Formats: sequence, C-alpha cells, structure tokens
Amino acid sequence: MIQFEHVVKKYGDATVLDDISFTIEPGQFAVLIGPSGCGKTTTLKTINRLIEPDDGTVRIDGDDISEVNRVQLRRRIGYVIQQIGLFPNMTVAQNITVVPKLLKYSKEDCDKIVHDMLEMVDMPYDQYAHKYPSEMSGGQQQRIGVLRALAASPPIVLMDEPFGALDPMTRSALQDEILHLQKKLKKTIVFVTHDMEEALNLADVIIFMENGKITQMAPPEEMLKNPANESVKNFLGKHIAVDDPSTLTAADFLRTNVVTVDSKKSLRTCTAQMMRSNVDSLIVTDENDKYIGTVSVEDIKSVSGDDLRVADVLKNDRETFRVDDDAKRCFDKLLSTKDNYVIVLKHDDTVAGIITKTSIAKALAERLWG
Amino acid sequence: MEYLTKMIDLYGESLLRNIGIHLLYVFASVSIGFVLGLTLGILLYRSEKYAKIILPVLSVFNTIPGIVFIGILFLYLGMKPATVIIALSIYAMFPVLKNTFVGLTNVERRYIEAARGCGMNNRQILFRVELPLAIPTIIGGLRMATIYTVSWSVLAAMIGLGGLGEFIYQGININRNDIILLGAIPAAVLAIALGLLIDVLQRKVTPRGIRKELNRR
Amino acid sequence: MSVSIILEHLLMVVAAVFCSILVGLPLGIASYFFTRVRRIILFVADVLQTVPSLALLGIIMIFVGAGKTTVIIGITLYSLLPIVRNTYLGLSEVDPGVKEAARGMGMSRFYRLMHVELPLAFPIIFTGIRIATVNAIGTVVFAASVGGGGLGAIIYKGIRVMNMKWIAFGTLSLMAMAIVFDIAMGGIETRLNRKFSGPSN
Repeated sequence: MIQFEHVVKKYGDATVLDDISFTIEPGQFAVLIGPSGCGKTTTLKTINRLIEPDDGTVRIDGDDISEVNRVQLRRRIGYVIQQIGLFPNMTVAQNITVVPKLLKYSKEDCDKIVHDMLEMVDMPYDQYAHKYPSEMSGGQQQRIGVLRALAASPPIVLMDEPFGALDPMTRSALQDEILHLQKKLKKTIVFVTHDMEEALNLADVIIFMENGKITQMAPPEEMLKNPANESVKNFLGKHIAVDDPSTLTAADFLRTNVVTVDSKKSLRTCTAQMMRSNVDSLIVTDENDKYIGTVSVEDIKSVSGDDLRVADVLKNDRETFRVDDDAKRCFDKLLSTKDNYVIVLKHDDTVAGIITKTSIAKALAERLWG
Repeated sequence: MEYLTKMIDLYGESLLRNIGIHLLYVFASVSIGFVLGLTLGILLYRSEKYAKIILPVLSVFNTIPGIVFIGILFLYLGMKPATVIIALSIYAMFPVLKNTFVGLTNVERRYIEAARGCGMNNRQILFRVELPLAIPTIIGGLRMATIYTVSWSVLAAMIGLGGLGEFIYQGININRNDIILLGAIPAAVLAIALGLLIDVLQRKVTPRGIRKELNRR
Repeated sequence: MSVSIILEHLLMVVAAVFCSILVGLPLGIASYFFTRVRRIILFVADVLQTVPSLALLGIIMIFVGAGKTTVIIGITLYSLLPIVRNTYLGLSEVDPGVKEAARGMGMSRFYRLMHVELPLAFPIIFTGIRIATVNAIGTVVFAASVGGGGLGAIIYKGIRVMNMKWIAFGTLSLMAMAIVFDIAMGGIETRLNRKFSGPSN
C-alpha cells in the first residue's frame, strides 16, 4: 500500500506538488495522467525518493519512507523509465540481475531469475541472455527494462512513461504483456503516461493531475461516466464520443500507420525494416500494394540463405477483414487467437490498417459508458 | 656496411641503455600521472563546485611548457632522475584528469537515473556504470599522456639525465646528423609503438556492449 | 630579452599554423570525399603528431639545416592532425537533410562544397585551428634546440645560467600568449556556433 499524506514539493516559486494525498491499494494498477508539468512524474519519483518532498509524508505499508535508507528502499521498488536506460556495458542477463546482485543473491538464484524472466516474455534464453542492448530493437530493450525492474520480485513497480518512445504496434504488444504480468505477479504498479488510451487500457484506477493537484482519482469506467471537470473531459476526448455500437465497423478502430514490406525485398532488407520500426512482424504486399501475407521474425529465423526473399517465407494463414466488416467480428477473432492484431483490407485488397487489443478496450469502454 | 658495424660498436650499448632509461621515465611518470589523474578526475566529477574553479586553473598550468617544469625542478632538486619523473608525472596527469572528468560527465543521465532507481549507492554507480562507460575516453587520455611523456622525456638529456634526447642534443651540438637520427628515430618509433599498444589496450578494455558505438564515432 | 623575442616566437607560430591550414584543409576535404585515402591521411597525421617534437625537428634539421625554416616545417607537420581531423569531422557532420536539399536543388559537387558544406563545417574547422595554434605556441619552444630562437631560447638560457628572471619572463610570456589565443579564438568559436545554431538555441 502506498499512501501520500499532504505531500508538497516546490522548485523555487513553482509549486510542483500542492498538498497531494491519496492511497494506492496493494495489487492495484494505478495510472498517473495529466498535461505536461502537472506533477505526475514528480509524484512517481517521490515514491522511490529520487525526489524528496518539502513537506508531507509518503508511506509504504505504513512506514514513512523518509526514515528508510534510500538505497535499500529502491532495491525493493522496481523502476522503469522512458529512456529505457539499460546499461550498455552489460549483457541482457547482467542487466536483469543488477538488483538481485546488489541484494547479494547467489549466482544460481541469479541464473534462475534470468531464465524465468526471459521465459515470461517469450524471449529464448540462448538467443537473448548474452546479447548487448545495442544489438536489440527498442521494443526488446524495453521488455528487458521491465524485467530488470521485476527481477528481485519487488512488491511495487514504478513506470515512468515506459512505452512512450515505442511505435504503436510494439507499444500495444507491451501493454498487453504488462497487464498479463501484473495479473500473474500481483504487483502494485504506479504508471505515468500522457496517453489516455493507454491509461484506460491498463488502469485499475486513474489519478488525473493538473497544476500539482489531483483533479480526479477514479476507476476508468467511473472517469468516463463522470469526468470531474472540463480538462478531464478534454483529455478523455474521443473516448467519450457516443457511437451506436451496431454501426461500428472495422474502419472505426483502425491503426493506419502500419509498416509494410514488398514481397520482392530481400530478407535482409526486411529485417532491417523491422529493426528500424521496432516491430516483430511486417505485413507483406505485392508490387501493387495488395496484401499477400505476413512475415515475422520467427519465420525469418527459421530459414537460412542470403538470396531468400520475403516471398519465400511469408505466411498467409491469417483471416483478413474488410473495412466495412462489423467491428465485433474482428474483436472476436482477435480475442480467440494469440495474434496481437488482425489485418483489415480495403476493397481493392490494399492494406487499410490493423486492429489491436487496445482498440477493443476503447470499443468496450465506448459501448458501455459512452 | 662497415659504417654500420662501427656505429653499433661505438653506440650500440649506450643506445640500448638510453632506450631503457627513456622507457623507465615514461613508464614511471605515466603510471604515477595516471593514478593521480584518474583519482583527481573522479573527485572533481563528484564535486562540481570545485571542478568549476580547479579545471580552468589546471588548464592554465597546462600551458607551462614541460621544459620549464623540468628546468625549475632541476634548479631546486638538482640533477636526479626524480626531477624528471616528478615533472613528467605532473604533465602526464593533465590529459588523464581532463579525460576522466569529461568521460564521466558525458555518461548519459538515463543510465545514472536507472542505476539510482535500481538502488545502487554512489560507489556502485561509479564502479558499475559510470567508469565502465567512461573507459574509452579515459584510455584516450592515457594515450595522450604517454605520447606527451615520450616527447618530453627527450628533455631529460638537457639536464644530463640520459634518455634518447642525449643523442639528439649531442648530435646537434657536434653537428653530426647520424647521431641526431640515432636518438630521433628510436624516439619516434617508441612513441608510435606505445600509441598503437594503447589503441589495442583501449579495444580490449572497452566493454563489448559499447564497442559498436565507439566504432561509429 | 624584449618584445622582439615574443614577436619572433609569434611569427613562427603564425607561419606554421598558416602553412598547416594550407596543407590540412585540402587533406581534410580529400578525407571527406575519398573513403580510401581517409584512413591513410588520418593515420599519417596521427603519426606525425605522435613523433616527439624534438625528434621531428632534429630529423627535419638534417635536410633543411638549423634555423626558422626547420621549425616552421616541423610545427606545420605537427599541427596537421587537429586541422585535418576537424575538417573531415566538420564536413561529415553537416546535417544530411541540408546536404540532400542542396543536391536536390541541382548544385554541383564543387558548388555544394564551397557554398554549403564548408561554411557549415567552419565552426568545427575553426576549433581545429584553435587547438593547432595553442599547441604550436607550446611546441615552438623546441625551436631553441634547432637554432630557431623564440621564447624557448631565453628559457634554455635561463636554466643553463640559473637566471630565474629569464625563465619567468619566457614562461609567463608563453602562458599569456597561449591563454590569450585560446580565449580570443574560443570567443570567435562561440559566436560562430551561435550564428549557425540560430535563434532556437
């Protein structure tokens, strides 16, 4: 349990935190949101004492943290930052075991942690444990960033816009993973974002801040139903907009900024494209931009040969949808498979976009409380 | 051919001795200078307040030519190897100190914040994150220190303390080109060889994960 | 012991740095244009700076004889590295967007170099010239050993006859010269940088 009691923080004349009080229950996923400069990151950083408040008390499980040794405190709190901050001089395994090593875990325990952690996010140990951060994509790096925070099983994890620098597809995949991890590990998570969609998708409770004060603290559904004031309403924006669910089509939920690759391209170009856009799979098109399948990192890894082209490894076993198909059909499909997204085509078979699980959350929210 | 055997007979032994003396000066002063420079560099990095005053003062001192240091120390300490070693150690210290400070200062904030968030104390952050990331720059300072020292060690001969400068000064004085080369060429080779050696060292001690970044630069 | 010695010293520095710019700038541009010669040029410049100054001067003296010419040639070679390296660095760090725009507008290779790339690279090149100049002020001290005179001569003489006044005069003049050049050229550098980074910075 995290309790803020009348916490104040000032920088010169500016009051960044203005008498903040709230409580986050154990196992809750709390999301801090608000316009830039509202104090959300400051609030987060007072929890692991990267920032010391000028007044008031922060308690964890009842103990005043200003009386706990700062360094000891941080070892019991996971911390993930937007800039990822994996130590470039250490391998993945070394990065993950930074905190366990600080806590003097045995070598065997550390080894086991690395194995368990990588397994949790489906990154094979043999393939990744001894890589350096510079050898991985941004999405993979931030997965390791999250694992590093979880490695010593801290009951509390702080995340400061952890997915802010990632592309939309990787971002929603990581959101799904973090939700999954939280369900499984029952951590108390405090998460800072400025993206309302992300907040609605992840939060048990949203804390909306403005000018160093809490404007509203409520579960997502409550916030959507009764936004406390205009600025909360503005932030919720399109998520409140009413739509007749029966008329919703796939087109209403499209992410249109998808990365595609021409089937004639070499696998090397394709891999480079994946690295560049931080994604694990690409949609494959022919020379007329028409959809012909998908290609994933796994597909590429399973073959060898320099002269292979995308056309040689692509898969077209996915069911695709049209832009005017009923949205619900897409969601059913998405929920019933392991894929992170379904593909939506225009009538000329060119790619219109994709629908992800984040889109579902949005749709359900609008359907229920719009 | 005859000339060569004659030269070797006449100067072979003293050439080897002077290379040895030269190397001794370089090795002793660079070792002392490196330890001093590294320590002071870390201390200054940790106390920004003093760094702002001390660094400019040091760079002013750095403009004093090595010959003056050696000369003045010679006047006070006399003709001892210690005179040369003390002067050169101070000289070797400057680039190491400066590069240590710069290398540490250039470590990106995010790594330090991540380290602090992980619960490392200042000492752990220094040894596990900051120093490893600053190593390429620090070794760059060591390289400069070494090359400068090889160069300034030539001056030892000016106050009669041997080293390869002995041949250069002697050659200039008695107007014998071959004697000048006898000192100049080994000194040049020594500097280049030590420079290359340190390049290899730099590649060896740079953590693998940041080597790529280094090559890109 | 007078102002003329300072001027003598300064003359050798300026002459050497000037020659070094004349030689170094084209070499830096060549390194930027031709990947193959880049390694060789930078390696040679690096080696030249690695060779102990007095050894370099001694070797040159054998060919040119004692005197100021030897000093100027030696310091020219010695100053090449910062100028060549910074010319190359400056040119390669010009914003690729700007380079592409220039190419897109149909400028010829030479025109692009003269009107876009070199002007934009100039602040970094100037830094190289500053480093070369300040280094040269210190290195010209060795001129005394090869009959070139300058402030080194008075320091040598001072040490030999244990005259602290001469040593102090030589040293302080040198320090002042190095500091004045460093600060003055540093100031120009800051202004150059401000000019190019525009109002956003």
